[in-house]
Amino acid sequence: MTENVKCGCSAANIAIFPCVGASNVGQLSNKIAIELDKKEIGNLMCTVGIGARAPGLMKSAEASDRIIVIDGCPVSCASKTLELAGFKVDRHIVISELGIKKTKDRDLKDDEVSEALEKTLEILLSE
Amino acid sequence: MKKQNNIKTKPIERKIEVKNMKIEILGTGCSKCKKTKEVIEKILRENGIEAEVVKVDDFEKILNYGVMVTPAVVIDGEVKLAGKIPDEKEILKWITK
Repeated sequence: MTENVKCGCSAANIAIFPCVGASNVGQLSNKIAIELDKKEIGNLMCTVGIGARAPGLMKSAEASDRIIVIDGCPVSCASKTLELAGFKVDRHIVISELGIKKTKDRDLKDDEVSEALEKTLEILLSE
Repeated sequence: MKKQNNIKTKPIERKIEVKNMKIEILGTGCSKCKKTKEVIEKILRENGIEAEVVKVDDFEKILNYGVMVTPAVVIDGEVKLAGKIPDEKEILKWITK
């Protein structure tokens, strides 16, 4: 439970918003965001809370120095949700553009998780 | 014949209850959380405003406000700020509205 709320005392305050869509790549976006949070690259936040304009989420996003959005496919729902709420997306990653084909299968495959995570880390760490 | 009204009526007591503002500071006790509490208490003192200042370190309560980064300030149930120490002008605006 203690890992769920991050203290703003850390040097960089980076928010990660996944789309968590109803497809393999949508579910992968969530898994990748969780892994990035575990690696302390940023704080996983609820994208749907931004859509709902939930005050706690809105204020948490406002306090972020950078916003990373992970969308499953080019429909880019998460990115558009953030932009419609008035946030600037600093880094936009689209899982289906990392070589993983979008399907309706929601059960994650280990090889796809590893591949997507590796490529996402490559992109983020190259900046 | 005129009926006599023997019912004695008591004057209605109207109690006006002035509810104190409740300021919750959400955080785990880090330096920014402590500073947030200090600065809020200072502004309240300087302006002679009474409020109940409560420190909340229960993660469940913090998460139920949708707050993902602390410190956060909640006034009468409304999240005002998260992830940073509020500045004095901001606090004054919240407490004097």
